[in-house]
Amino acid sequence: MKELLKKEFKLTAGTVTYIFIVFGLMAFIPGYPILVSAFFVCLGLQITFQFAREYNDVLYTVLLPVNKGDAVKARYLFCVCIQMMSFLLTACVSALRMSVLRDVKVYAENVMLSANFTFLGFVLFIYMLFNVIFIGGFYKTAYYYGKNFVIFAVVSMLTVGIAETIHHIPGLKFLNATSGSELLPQLGIFACGIILYIVGTLISMNKSIKRFEKLDL
Amino acid sequence: MESLKIKNLCKKYEKFSLKNVSFSVQSGEIRGFIGRNGAGKTTTLKSILNLVHPDSGEISFFGQTFAGNEKEIKQRIGYAVGGTSYYQNKAIKDIVKITKMFYKNWSDEQYNHYLSVFSLDENKKLSELSEGMKVKFHLAVALSHGAELLILDEPTSGLDPVSREELLEIFLSLAEKGVAILFSTHITSDLEKCADSITYIKSGEIIATDDIKSFTDNYRLVEINEKTKKSDNDCYLGMCKTKDGATALIYAKDADKFDKKLIGKPTLETIMVHLEKEEI
Repeated sequence: MKELLKKEFKLTAGTVTYIFIVFGLMAFIPGYPILVSAFFVCLGLQITFQFAREYNDVLYTVLLPVNKGDAVKARYLFCVCIQMMSFLLTACVSALRMSVLRDVKVYAENVMLSANFTFLGFVLFIYMLFNVIFIGGFYKTAYYYGKNFVIFAVVSMLTVGIAETIHHIPGLKFLNATSGSELLPQLGIFACGIILYIVGTLISMNKSIKRFEKLDL
Repeated sequence: MESLKIKNLCKKYEKFSLKNVSFSVQSGEIRGFIGRNGAGKTTTLKSILNLVHPDSGEISFFGQTFAGNEKEIKQRIGYAVGGTSYYQNKAIKDIVKITKMFYKNWSDEQYNHYLSVFSLDENKKLSELSEGMKVKFHLAVALSHGAELLILDEPTSGLDPVSREELLEIFLSLAEKGVAILFSTHITSDLEKCADSITYIKSGEIIATDDIKSFTDNYRLVEINEKTKKSDNDCYLGMCKTKDGATALIYAKDADKFDKKLIGKPTLETIMVHLEKEEI
């Protein structure tokens, strides 16, 4: 697995995928729907799938002395690594916005979703959508990815729209808080994000491995 | 030792099916796998490499099946597919740097040896290589990890005669070292130069699997004239027009029915052309 993961990073990955990790820093932009950053990270990952297909990577990988299913596992792990790198950046920015930058006017008067635990929970939810809809869909054929990405894009944009504005609904203001006791229920949303991300990714990966092993290449 | 054994391999597609494909390759043997385009050669090879899932049948390598032994088996086999490649825009050295991590028996010494034998420039991208050089690159990789069985799909297609000759000589020297080679092609003259045996597939069915001499000895070629055309066409397995008339393929056992002057020994290519021509 270590070798396969190395192959993903050094041979298969597109440079753009690495560049798009930096979109995790978008959480610094005031008055902007910062949740879009999670979509951009996934867009970068989709480019690696595009490259891999052009490179005929599936054929190259399955002919290596590896189990076929491990090739799928390595791709999922690669995507999780990229997502976690970007998540780490975005979490650091969120921590700054929730502490030293909390009272900065542009952040305090933010009409969109603030960088807080709700935001981080939704970031993980969008990553999960990518892993389930896009990657899971891709391994039905190990070739076609366009339709799956369009579906992911629509669903994730709807999620961004809802998440960025939901705190305007009376009674849900706490979702946009960056300090105080209102952070506690946000932790619940963040925990849900973590659970959904782990469970969704694992289910999608296991399903993809089974599908891929049955595919005629 | 039996390096590869295929028994009753079946695979059904909507418009094509492989029917009970069986043959084996021994260590040190070069087996040609022949048949016209679309006969089922690539599907068979893909099934062997576990890229396609057969509906039934058994495939074993060195006495082991893929189930549970996939990694170990792949350590011992190499492949080259003419006309297909991967990571075209990457330099050879970058591909090899990653590829070699996967093989326990990788030898840099062997790799450098084959780089120089094949005149491959490590800094070149695969897309910058000719088809022949790409096949040589795949072979260099396969040989550097000590593959004991080479599965080659049309490795000589698209090669100039000199490069083909070079490759065939390499196959011969590898077979001498005990490497088993399964070599699909429709360029049958290549097989006459290097193969010990052939397996002939037609419309998804194996119609012959034998050593080359026994296979060609089964047939005779008859020059057709007005007399033979009328009286003996039941014996004809296939006919081809020639500049001076036509030729027909017959079984050697039927040769007595014809004038000895009109009978000749066919080459592998002539046999294949006549057998396939029958259905046109």
